[in-house]
Amino acid sequence: MTATQTALDRVTRVAGVRGALVVDAADGLVVAEQLMDGVDGQAAAALAGSLVGRLVRTAESAGLRPPAFVHLRGDAGSVLAAPGPDELVLVAVVGPDANLGLARLEMIGAAGRLA
Amino acid sequence: MRALEPWVVQPLETFLAESAARLTLLMTASGQVVAQHGFSRSLDVMSAAALGAGIVASTEELARLMGASRFEALVHHGQRQSCMLAAFATPRGRWIGLVVFGPETSVGIVRLFFDQMVQQLAAVAPREQPQPPMLAENFETELNASLKALFGR
Amino acid sequence: MADDIRALTTRLADEPGSLAFLELAEALRRRGQLEAAYKVARGGISRYPGLADAHDVMARVLNDQGDLAGAFDAWSSALQLDPMRASALKGVAFLYFRAGDKAAAFDQLQRAHEVDPDDPSILQAIARMGAELRADAAAPPPVETAAAPFQPAPAAESSVRRPPGLFHDVEGGERGLLLVDANGLRLGGSLSGADGSEVGDQVAAQLAGVSREAARATRLLGLGSWHSIAVESPDGHLVLTQPTADTILLAARDPSLPMGRVELLAERAARAARTWLEAQA
Repeated sequence: MTATQTALDRVTRVAGVRGALVVDAADGLVVAEQLMDGVDGQAAAALAGSLVGRLVRTAESAGLRPPAFVHLRGDAGSVLAAPGPDELVLVAVVGPDANLGLARLEMIGAAGRLA
Repeated sequence: MRALEPWVVQPLETFLAESAARLTLLMTASGQVVAQHGFSRSLDVMSAAALGAGIVASTEELARLMGASRFEALVHHGQRQSCMLAAFATPRGRWIGLVVFGPETSVGIVRLFFDQMVQQLAAVAPREQPQPPMLAENFETELNASLKALFGR
Repeated sequence: MADDIRALTTRLADEPGSLAFLELAEALRRRGQLEAAYKVARGGISRYPGLADAHDVMARVLNDQGDLAGAFDAWSSALQLDPMRASALKGVAFLYFRAGDKAAAFDQLQRAHEVDPDDPSILQAIARMGAELRADAAAPPPVETAAAPFQPAPAAESSVRRPPGLFHDVEGGERGLLLVDANGLRLGGSLSGADGSEVGDQVAAQLAGVSREAARATRLLGLGSWHSIAVESPDGHLVLTQPTADTILLAARDPSLPMGRVELLAERAARAARTWLEAQA
């Protein structure tokens, strides 16, 4: 099993995670995914990739190094993103009842090992 | 942004706003321009339409030779700009979209909102009125009129 | 109780990785053996850093020890791991009350009530806090008193210009807070870069686009409207929120501050921003 698949497996096992995907942030395209029904992988990849790109530029303008973790919170759930090497980003779409702390730990740990 | 048909305007405007595309051309499969955004000269529009239609036709022939179904989209990545060509079905026949975009957006965003535009176009396109069946005598009359117009008889 | 502690101590000694440390730390705390309770909780957190229960029990121990700043951090960590943790919300409310911030205490109690509507202690606290707030609103301005013993997150002095009253009652003042309009123009606050230069305007210019991206992402992914964005960088924590539909607020703090605490700070700053904007209208 590749590091990518392992990463997706670990993240999707966390309670409340509706889907996880590895995204090429520069292109906003899916590299690998594990999604439940109802989660649009193409949209998640494009939108999360674009948002992370913007936040990287925001962090740079504030004199900060690129983010290690991003949490976009909505009414009905969240998007979590953990940038990895080579412009890959591990993204998870989670429900409002998700174990955010555990998802965050798994994602930060896994993102560094993406290949 | 200009469009020959008013029902194209709203979906195309939405696409342009969301995708941040620099240039966009919608055309029929034969290269006839339906709408454009960002081009400053009509010659450029016509050239781009003809070239785009030709590239799509070549690519579809290549897919056919490979025994594959049609390619959904073709993307050329450039250093400063990139270009996407995609053919899609509409109630008015097969059309082609040519989109040029820069690093301020991404191919994922462009494809996401291009696909949404295609769905919106399909939803808002006026349906053609069904043609009445051609009677043999009408056909004879029509044919004679065309021949007269073409060859002066 | 002494028998319980002996039994739990034995269990923990036999199985150092067990969750018995939670009960043991709480039992020691209740007996007033705070040093021992602290050591047990510390050991448990090092094994289970992602367990909200561990941070909750640590917060209670620190609170009893009088380390209110530490208790605040620990409850904030618990809330980051488990935003629905009523005990942590009550704890933070209590700390705000002790710091003299009754409005913030009231907000936290209301959140705790939403999570656990059947807890009578929360309802009593809400009633009391509400009565005090109404009395404060009706009373003449208070005479200046000695500073409260606990002030969450004091930060460096700001040396940049400020619109009067925008973040004047937020811990740390305006430094590290930016209020931006929908066009990316700064309305107030200041932000320093790594070299100490003012970067508020550059960052503000980026934020309008971030707000639009966030709204688009949550809308198209079926997640409703967006509330906040938390960004963890090795060099700092950022939290973005929307005080109103047309504005965005950025709170930036050192990475040593737990993200949960930065989020609470951002909420307070957003309330201050709303009040200020209403006054400008």
